Amino acid sequence: MSTSRISPVTGHYVTVDVDGLQYKVFYLENGPADGQPLLCQHTAGAHNHQWRGLLEDEEVTADYRVIAYDLPRHGKSDPPENTEWWKEEYKLSADHYVNFIIALADALELEDPIFMGSSFGGNVALQLAHRRPDRFAGVLSVEGADHSPGFYLDWWQHPHANAAQVCASGVWDLMAPQSPDKDRWKTWFYYSQGSEAFKGDLHFYSVDHDLRGKLGEIDGEACPVVMMTGEYDYLTTPEDSQRTADAITGGTYIDMPGIGHFPMSENHAVFRTHLLRALQVLRDKTTAKVHAGV
Amino acid sequence: MTALTSAPPAQAWAEAFTRASNTDPEVQAHGKYFTCSYLLDATERTYVVQVESGRVTRVTVDPGPLDVAYQFAIRASAQTWREFGQPVPAPMFHGIWAASFQRDMRLEGDILVLMQNLRCITRQVELLRVVGSPV
Repeated sequence: MSTSRISPVTGHYVTVDVDGLQYKVFYLENGPADGQPLLCQHTAGAHNHQWRGLLEDEEVTADYRVIAYDLPRHGKSDPPENTEWWKEEYKLSADHYVNFIIALADALELEDPIFMGSSFGGNVALQLAHRRPDRFAGVLSVEGADHSPGFYLDWWQHPHANAAQVCASGVWDLMAPQSPDKDRWKTWFYYSQGSEAFKGDLHFYSVDHDLRGKLGEIDGEACPVVMMTGEYDYLTTPEDSQRTADAITGGTYIDMPGIGHFPMSENHAVFRTHLLRALQVLRDKTTAKVHAGV
Repeated sequence: MTALTSAPPAQAWAEAFTRASNTDPEVQAHGKYFTCSYLLDATERTYVVQVESGRVTRVTVDPGPLDVAYQFAIRASAQTWREFGQPVPAPMFHGIWAASFQRDMRLEGDILVLMQNLRCITRQVELLRVVGSPV
């Protein structure tokens, strides 16, 4: 273990143009410059500190260039620079979300990146595999499913309640009681900061994201899909993710006992054991693809 | 775990819950404006919990039809509440959102009041893991 108290994690901004909008995007990264990029999306209404454990995970960052960005309107990534965004209601669409992630990967000049996202990031991972299997070496869909209705609620922004606390305590039950208090409370704290974006994010999560009947169209050979879901996730249950993975060609499902909907943030020590397995699955599939001459 | 699944007498539970909440560091740290009343409906038993400025002032056991007013209700089967009373609840019995989305819990009445007090209510419900099931 290093004696330095300065973390090897560094932060940068990159300008991204997409769908006529310009964003100044903040991201944290750690790992070798020539390592395979592992592009990480936080959950709805949160920011990239959810990946704090992974960003300093010496085993993973020895091989992978871990990049955890803040989606625009979250953390240190501001709303668009070139529109009067305050005059419109924020409602994230599948089209814009996918286009943004592709534009970000292009702006960072990432070659053969693995995309990993949790919750609404897990759902967009499936969208990416569906729409752009050519752009990613594989996707890790954490707490994802083909469809996840029921969370696009007005309570997240109700002016008569404390939106910060409603968002933070409203997602509290998504975490497992076994997860360490200090990590669950950090996750709660992140959620207390993101209430303005949370509901708009959930427009994608619960309304616009719907791959029911389309999972068979995902080319799981070109872009392998590994799904991972925690036992305590009441929104996207293990059964939902298992069902989704089963319908994807070559799809893999990894069950995560004793953990919830924010695995990387609520309990990285447990999450990493499953992540290492998922990364091995992707390596095996890539090797098989090379041997098959695909 | 059998000792924890056999509920204490209702009045004893009410007193233990009151004591747990009124000495809980989280509720006391954040409860300055935590004021509301709610029905905890466990099917075989009901309780109306009244809270003023973070302190449980009264828990009425099995109130009659017109005895005590309340603002919202948290209803579930006795078995669901027994699961809530485990030290480490099984998945989907670990909170009112989880059990409402995936099990037989129902949140009724003036839900806005629940949302206004959500942080402390969430903590109070977790105290069942220590106090035990209300039924």
